[in-house]
Amino acid sequence: MSNASIIGKDGVKRYLITITVNGDPHSKVVKANNTLTDFLRDELDLTGTKKGCELGDCGSCTVLMDGKAVNSCLILAIEADGREVTTIEGIASTAEIDILQQKFIEFGALQCGYCTPGMVMSAKALLAKNPRPTELEVRQALAGNLCRCTGYVNIVKAVLSASGQEVAHD
Amino acid sequence: MYLPDFEYYAPDSVQEACKLKAEFGPRAMFFSGGTDIMHKMKIGTLAPEILISLKNLEALKKIEYVPGKGVVIGARATHNDLVNSEILHKKYMSVSEAAHQMAANQVRNIGTVGGNLINAVPSADLPPILMALDASVKLVGTKGERVIPLEELFTGVCKTCCCDDEILTEIIIPDQKMTGSTYIKFGLRRSGALAVAGVAVAVEVDKDVIKDARIVLGAVYITPKRAIESEKFLIGEKISDELLAEAGKISCTECKPISDMRGSAEYRQNLVEVLTKRALRKAIDKGHV
Amino acid sequence: MSKEYPVIGLSKPRIDGREKVTGAAKYCGDLKLPNMLYGKLLGSPHAHARILSIDTSEALKIPGVKAVITAKDVPSLKYGISPARWDENVLCIEKALFVGDKVAAVACVDQETCYKALKAIKVEYEVLKPVLDYRTAWDDDMPQLHAEYAKNINTEIHQEFGDVEQAFKEAYYVQTDVFVGARTYQCPIEPHSALCIWKDDKLTVYSSTQSVHYFQHYIAREFGLRMGDVRVIAPYVGGGFGGKLEPTGLEFCGSVLSKITGRPVRMFYDRQEMFQHNRGRHQGTYKITNGVDKDGKILGVHVEFQTDGGAYTSLGIASAYYAGALLPLTYEFDNYKFDMYRMYTNLPACGAHRGHGAPQPKYAFESSLDNLAKAIGMDPLELRLRNARRPNTVTPNAFAVNSCEMKACLERVGEASDWKNKKKPGGMPKGRGIGLSTGSFVTGAGYPIYRTDLPHASCMIRVMEDGTSATLYSGSVDIGQGSSTILCQMAAEGMGYRYENMKIVCSDTETCPLDFGAYASRQTLMSGWAAKEAGEGIKKQIIDMASVMMNLPPDDLDCVKGIIFSKSRPKVQSLTFEEVARKLFVLRGPLISKGVYTPPRLGGTFKGAPVGTSPAYSFCVQAAEVQVDEETGVIDIIQCWDCHDVGQVINPTLLHGQVHGALFMGLGETIWEQVQFDQNGKIINGNLGGYMLPTTLDMPPINSMLVDSYEPAGPWGVKEVGEGATNPTIGAFRNAIVDALGVSVNQLPITYERVWRALKEKREAEQTQGK
Repeated sequence: MSNASIIGKDGVKRYLITITVNGDPHSKVVKANNTLTDFLRDELDLTGTKKGCELGDCGSCTVLMDGKAVNSCLILAIEADGREVTTIEGIASTAEIDILQQKFIEFGALQCGYCTPGMVMSAKALLAKNPRPTELEVRQALAGNLCRCTGYVNIVKAVLSASGQEVAHD
Repeated sequence: MYLPDFEYYAPDSVQEACKLKAEFGPRAMFFSGGTDIMHKMKIGTLAPEILISLKNLEALKKIEYVPGKGVVIGARATHNDLVNSEILHKKYMSVSEAAHQMAANQVRNIGTVGGNLINAVPSADLPPILMALDASVKLVGTKGERVIPLEELFTGVCKTCCCDDEILTEIIIPDQKMTGSTYIKFGLRRSGALAVAGVAVAVEVDKDVIKDARIVLGAVYITPKRAIESEKFLIGEKISDELLAEAGKISCTECKPISDMRGSAEYRQNLVEVLTKRALRKAIDKGHV
Repeated sequence: MSKEYPVIGLSKPRIDGREKVTGAAKYCGDLKLPNMLYGKLLGSPHAHARILSIDTSEALKIPGVKAVITAKDVPSLKYGISPARWDENVLCIEKALFVGDKVAAVACVDQETCYKALKAIKVEYEVLKPVLDYRTAWDDDMPQLHAEYAKNINTEIHQEFGDVEQAFKEAYYVQTDVFVGARTYQCPIEPHSALCIWKDDKLTVYSSTQSVHYFQHYIAREFGLRMGDVRVIAPYVGGGFGGKLEPTGLEFCGSVLSKITGRPVRMFYDRQEMFQHNRGRHQGTYKITNGVDKDGKILGVHVEFQTDGGAYTSLGIASAYYAGALLPLTYEFDNYKFDMYRMYTNLPACGAHRGHGAPQPKYAFESSLDNLAKAIGMDPLELRLRNARRPNTVTPNAFAVNSCEMKACLERVGEASDWKNKKKPGGMPKGRGIGLSTGSFVTGAGYPIYRTDLPHASCMIRVMEDGTSATLYSGSVDIGQGSSTILCQMAAEGMGYRYENMKIVCSDTETCPLDFGAYASRQTLMSGWAAKEAGEGIKKQIIDMASVMMNLPPDDLDCVKGIIFSKSRPKVQSLTFEEVARKLFVLRGPLISKGVYTPPRLGGTFKGAPVGTSPAYSFCVQAAEVQVDEETGVIDIIQCWDCHDVGQVINPTLLHGQVHGALFMGLGETIWEQVQFDQNGKIINGNLGGYMLPTTLDMPPINSMLVDSYEPAGPWGVKEVGEGATNPTIGAFRNAIVDALGVSVNQLPITYERVWRALKEKREAEQTQGK
């Protein structure tokens, strides 16, 4: 049932939660109003998860929760209690970067880089479910990630290439 | 942005959740997915003191076919659960397709069907298609449960007839005589856009005659709105482009859109006319629901 | 393209790629220092209001609130980025001039407390009548925003070159059109933030800025500090597009809050506050009169513009001059008249937005040309070919153009888009249209933003003691456009070294020599000249040393990709850069060199002549093909084309990326983007759901092409691409849409509803005529 809680000096309840982030369980005491974005950035210093709009419109804060791409700004940390979360810092299992990350660099699929972690996470979720997506499927999967720099052209190419498909460079 | 402080409960059963809600009254809100509640809290238009999360009600995530009853969608199913549901693909692809047109992928992974319906935003994408398929919803409260037509749930902008301690637990789409259905959303861009207008249609076609029709208009009235006159006009008629165009014209007299930053009332009325015509044609030609 | 080089001209991977794709890159809002506080600004809820009193006592009682400041706590010296109009206060003193204008600031232990503190500050306002419409802002019954600028006119420009009246008299056809633009916003995905540390009379500011130098200059000025006591650092910057070129309340108030609390303070905007701070594109009304002869040759152009500047000047004086200054670039005509008013209104201030003041006027001009082509029965491409600028010419407003492949770009886009066939009757399906537009932009501004004789760019290179790496120290700022990558390519090219061994330290006023930063598309050419010179300085030292080591004359040696070899005797054993560099260090100490660039004197002597001057101008053509749904007004973009004359290309992948992004932005501004207000001047769509950037699903395929070109004023012949590619976009899409509709649409954004309405009115007019 409900989480163990204590009441702070300010009269506001704090709750004990455990979220597994990038494979490691993290137990923290948080206020109910703590978002998953803030939890990752402030409590765990995982600042690869970005704040762009805080309303679920831009996708900069995209992480995987139990393998699904979600806007961490629209999720309460306490709602993620007991769940598995993967952030951009955790998508490569070894010192090598993920194929998606390699392809983003190779295709010039990033400029300012602020939307990049979210883009990569959305793409990661797509390829896990659909290893050879069509261009339309890539565009659908990334439609919740706004980029102001690239016009998405090279991002779409990078994702298609990461899925093993032939893609022409410029 | 920040969320005002609130207390948080995550009960393990529907009954427990209803009890909590009955106890706290209007100070508390149910929280299912919560994409809309979070949004409103962040922009300062909502400040509940207590959130009762339904996240532990795992049983409400199921989408299943119950013979004699129909397709039952648990209120905790996410929009993407609808998008990916094999049962829906087989029986009601149009519901799956409507869900796919909502928001964007990440929000569809969080937001739930129950939350979307209870939210009762006039521009919501799911109510029109569900109403076109004559769906009903089950409401469970401390005093028992009731099943009502979805159409009766909506009473105004962001208002429902759901009582304070009631939880919407499931959506039931009954077995159909309808032979085709579809929902056409009109947004200003292809993702992450609210409907400026949306039209859902379900038709029963026998040879080239429309035997039955249900038309539901979204985003052009205080609630999703049945276009009853248009439906009546169609029933028993032989299908032709002129007929469908005329049905569109009738539909647009049955809505009462507002003008806002997304479009004028006049434009929305035009959209209803065009979308009704197109949705009818699509539902007729599709040959499946 | 034209010539092959060992390092430049190749699509080297971004130098910051790995940091960015792994999430390791720290942006200003990611920085955290021990004991750091968080700070926020309180914005006015009214568009125009007198501040009667501010009570901060309740806010100060909240646990965790460390400081609350108002106007009395900050310098009263007015600031701005344009020295001709410093009209902004750090915190409003007497009046607030737009919704969001800054009236107080707080520093607290966490972000949540900041919001609570802001709510607890009680401000008593006397609400005044606001000026919300720039078109009537000069009317007698309108209140004055700034006492010193009568009739709310912020900037007034009247320029005439040649004799326009005479040209119109001689013209075969004269046409006047009026076009209307929309307020748009840069919308970088990274919100602005600033981390300020005031310690021992020294101030350090980390900021998401496009120019560490201008920030240093203006922050030092505001606080009466010496530049040497102010350090400005830009960490990774998540996009700017012009909106992060000038210091904001975040830097100024953050500094004061740090001084008061003795702790680092990180200030931040949320998305709504970014929209309020704005500095985005001016909206305007653009009246254009063109006169042509029978062959479609443009004889004279008269433009009369009025734009909405918002409550403050920002970079708006330059925007106002740019609006007219760049119009004569792509076509040759001798008679040109430019009249302009930039108005003050009680709305967020407008400034430099990718392409600066030019894209909206350019849209109007290119639209007017299409209307004109239609009126005289000439193909729009043909009309442009007949007037296309040629290389080594001078514009009527005294801009010297060196390289210019305008005609080649037009021809190339014509071929690629199959223009001729599509323009034939029946060449396209019903509801389909094709349109094009030309564009051009400065490759760096000829003069600095404030008057100074400082060079525009400088840098240093230091080679590692054993020669295995080299670091470029440059005050330039990479806001995403890729300057750090291409400057390292250029430095390595100059050195005869390898890009892969380059590192860069940039955008820090303490560790890097001066560079004016990322604006006016200047860094490739200006910072590039400095990088080239510094690189060649290293190479010279390496060759001289190798000459001794190899016992060969220096002019017989060359160094390419880190190998020093004899040009005349290929069999002589070569040396590596590392060996020679190490030897140099052993004998003479650090192997360093420097580079510096100052543009030559440019332009005419008339008032406003400096704005628009540049060592070099890029040229381009864009075309678009669209399909319109006549029942709903929905615009489907089938595809689009861009052909650019950018001189020598340094990194093709990055270059095409700039074209993609610029075109994306211009497309957004054509159909979707507009900042909207309620009747009280409050933004109603200050979020990314309501202010609609195109998504992946809205973007068409883009064909990005290049023509051969060499620019003598640029290092290795380079020119800009970052902003010029936004210059033609709105016009090209507008012309395509109008071609599809068969009826003119003269207002931005060209929303689906506007398209539907235009068609409806057209049908109704036809019916009336039919009767």
